[in-house]
Amino acid sequence: MDISEDINARQVTPNEEIEPFLELTPELAQKRRSQTRIIFDRFVRNKAAIVGAIGLIFLFTMCFLGPTLTGHNDPNQQNVSSVSATLASASWQHPFGTDNVGRDVLARVMAGGQVSLLVGLTSMLMAIILGVGIGAFAGYYGGIIDNVLMRFTDIILSVPIYLLLFVLSASFTDGTPKSIIILIAVFGWTYAARLVRSEFLTLKEREFVLAARTIGVKNFRMMFRHILPNALGPIIVNATLLVSNNIILESVLSYFGFGIKPPDSSWGNLVYDGQGLFDVDPKLVFIPGLMIFFTVLCLNLVGDGLRDALDPYMTER
Amino acid sequence: MGRYIIRRFLQAIPLLLLISIAMFLLLHALPGGPEAVLFNPHLSAAGRAALRARFGLDDSVPIQYIKWLGRSLTGDFGFSFATNEPVMTVIGRRFPATLELFSVALVVALVLAIVIGVVSALRQSSATDYVLMTLSYFGISMPIFLFGLFAQDIFGVQLHWLPVSGTQTLGYQLAPIDAFVDHLEHLIMPMSVLAISYIAGWSRYMRSSMIEVVHQDYMRTARAKGVSSTSLIFRHALRNAVIPLITVVAIDFGAVAGGAAITEGVFAWPGMGSLFIDELTRRDYPVLLGMLIISAVFVIFFNLLADILYAVMDPRIRYS
Amino acid sequence: MGENLLEVQDLKTYFKTKSGYVRAVDGVNFSIKPGEKVAIVGESGCGKSVTSLSIMRLVAQPPGEYAGGSILFDEQDLLTVPESTMRSIRGAQIGMIFQDPMTCLNPTMSVGKQISEGLRIHLKLSEPEARRRAISLLEQVGIPAAGERVDAYPHQFSGGMRQRVMIAMALACNPKLLIADEPTTALDVTVQAQIIELIGAVCSEFGTALILITHDLGVVAGVADRVIVMYAGKVIEEASTEELFANPRHPYTIGLLASVPRLDESRQGELKTIEGAPPDLLKPPTGCPFMPRCYFARSICRTMPPLDPYAGDMSHRKACWVDVSDPKEQAYAERRRQERVAAQKAAIEAASVAAGTGSESVTTA
Repeated sequence: MDISEDINARQVTPNEEIEPFLELTPELAQKRRSQTRIIFDRFVRNKAAIVGAIGLIFLFTMCFLGPTLTGHNDPNQQNVSSVSATLASASWQHPFGTDNVGRDVLARVMAGGQVSLLVGLTSMLMAIILGVGIGAFAGYYGGIIDNVLMRFTDIILSVPIYLLLFVLSASFTDGTPKSIIILIAVFGWTYAARLVRSEFLTLKEREFVLAARTIGVKNFRMMFRHILPNALGPIIVNATLLVSNNIILESVLSYFGFGIKPPDSSWGNLVYDGQGLFDVDPKLVFIPGLMIFFTVLCLNLVGDGLRDALDPYMTER
Repeated sequence: MGRYIIRRFLQAIPLLLLISIAMFLLLHALPGGPEAVLFNPHLSAAGRAALRARFGLDDSVPIQYIKWLGRSLTGDFGFSFATNEPVMTVIGRRFPATLELFSVALVVALVLAIVIGVVSALRQSSATDYVLMTLSYFGISMPIFLFGLFAQDIFGVQLHWLPVSGTQTLGYQLAPIDAFVDHLEHLIMPMSVLAISYIAGWSRYMRSSMIEVVHQDYMRTARAKGVSSTSLIFRHALRNAVIPLITVVAIDFGAVAGGAAITEGVFAWPGMGSLFIDELTRRDYPVLLGMLIISAVFVIFFNLLADILYAVMDPRIRYS
Repeated sequence: MGENLLEVQDLKTYFKTKSGYVRAVDGVNFSIKPGEKVAIVGESGCGKSVTSLSIMRLVAQPPGEYAGGSILFDEQDLLTVPESTMRSIRGAQIGMIFQDPMTCLNPTMSVGKQISEGLRIHLKLSEPEARRRAISLLEQVGIPAAGERVDAYPHQFSGGMRQRVMIAMALACNPKLLIADEPTTALDVTVQAQIIELIGAVCSEFGTALILITHDLGVVAGVADRVIVMYAGKVIEEASTEELFANPRHPYTIGLLASVPRLDESRQGELKTIEGAPPDLLKPPTGCPFMPRCYFARSICRTMPPLDPYAGDMSHRKACWVDVSDPKEQAYAERRRQERVAAQKAAIEAASVAAGTGSESVTTA
């Protein structure tokens, strides 16, 4: 474009500069992270959740590796040799002291922890599998199946869980961890089922389901390969909180003498044992009790952290 | 609105029927069968035969169910093994103590939970908020029986401020005023433990509900009208924020039976909950089953009440 | 103060964020006479809503801050009066209606109670008196069967009806000024016209001054006497409605008006846009904020131009160093525009060569 050819150009003064354009370029898009990575980052940023996670790691390590690492591996070794050997206070040899028959409290706490944690986890897994299965079928198929399954869920939810568990544990269980796990799981799936059902009800109307159906995906595969992965978020959160719930359930049952019974020990029945000596040595109640509290606290922190990390609409609060 | 209530009521009836069937099946599923459950172990053979006829145990199962249902509806749950009194009498005797404990705890908890929740919400992210929410977090993480035991140890055993169990100090004949004060002293700890466990959860719920409401557009509209801050909080925000909380409270209260068992057990409070525990150890099935049914009815009733309250408080549900 | 009802002088409202201050309103000046209807237009994010919220002092204090300037209303600076005075002004002297009638009404209070509330607070009416007045207000804004609807709840009304309720609420105490913040954006097109007409009519009838905030120029033409154009937190032009539509003098206003589709345009032609995007209000440029997108820009534009009358006409002011009606300037702008078009074409060609498709596939403009 020759300036001399432009008629109007003659009217521009010779030393007029033409301003260059200031381009406003958008900032480069952030490097893409995978969804898991995003969730993980958000979780890690939550200090409370990290504290909870560290606490849980510590608890598990202590209870499962502790006995071999620290040598306090015999919870049943009694020592009534002298008065000072029983109900001893904290010492180097017995960091948590001893109980009324000279057993090392630390060893008992670790052994009890193994059972309590195991019961909590296993019953959660069973309950989640049951709950997800029932909820998925109810939500996906709808209609009669949904109605029947939900009535069934309602029945279980209507009877206060503690009363029911008390009666059933008194009648059916034998004090072993296995029976308690099954009992708790059989009645613990209801909330997960409700949750999964409502997720399925909304998700099955989405277009990706329609798209999958047009390429011939059959029902079972649709439910578990396509829809379920999208509902995982709330399920994971519920699972974490279910563990803490079940640990509390087991401890209440054992505290009243209906759950885990000797020779197995759990934190709950350690409290039960310690109750008789409450006036004399309250630490026998408090130490296992605080372990329960600490575990539940950490689980709640992690559960809330997961909920916040998975929530797509989380705003700055 | 009346139609809404009737509709919800009618929806509850099939559930109650189903529960009754479930309980009936439980009756037969417990070890020893219905005889172990219904017949006093000390009965003579003749007594057994008479009871068999009375309970219709030789009839077919559906007939048994109908008869059982009929008896339950009239409140006849059989006779306690331990005392041979009608089950309803045994339970009824313990009812006032539970009612007292729980109604006081409920009122205290509700008021405090609302106050704490509102204060935390209005002072969001302040030191007060963090302290209150941390405390409530600890509260929901602590199983109630532990909390009770801790309280008993600190306030009862160590400090000797309060008695740790029962409803009154035994062995003394006190003047009415002193007896009343003594009774109050016994009430404080279990009531506080129960109330605090409710407050922990409810205050968090109230706080998040309040925060959500305060950020709504209609709050800005009200401010643009020149409404004062007090009026904004009480007439506008609270009115909306408290609705979800009330339904949660109603539902939690419906589950009172479970909580009663634990709290009354720890504090030896002579209510229906501790009755349950005692009878459990004695395998006094008539009483146990009776309580299971009554508590299930309670739960369903309070769930229904929660729905009704929600409709009363939220015009969007009422007129839709 | 003279005859002005409201005088906004150099208003600055900033928002504190983690990355610094967002200058939402950055030195805004205008005034409103009693009974006058003024529209504030501009694109999303230009600061028009924040200006109106600042007048009512409704900006949430953290993170918002009133960083400077004054708002003179009835001899008082609204930015410095105590909150109790402000509360007596809100609703009574200045009324406000908001954008989304769905969420702006309290769902648990009847419509009548919400209207009566202002009457009882400011005019100290008793409950039955307030209720009567609420019913008459509902009639005035065109709600049928007002006597029964007064006890109804917001969710029982349609969107347009709800907005009428909002209007009744805002005008209940006969304020001197009504601020309407995008009152029709959330409504159906057919209802929009009715609501705008209603707002105009009641303001005329009661002599209420009106500040109408909108990004829809069609709405402006229907009801406003005067228009204020905002961009990036600043006022860049102001004139009477006819004058602005006929003779826009700021390059942004010109672009804005040109982007409105016209019935007499060819249907096959492209819609005109203003290229580029508004500046980041966290770090606004020191000069004219429109400079990066303006074909008329010169080095002098690195300093913010003052809002000055155009050609001595006090009622038409613009904040621009350039006289856009000057043919020399127009030629300059045209040259720059053609350069840019050429540069874009070259960039497209280079990109398609790099993508290996060859220059044959470059389509001609």
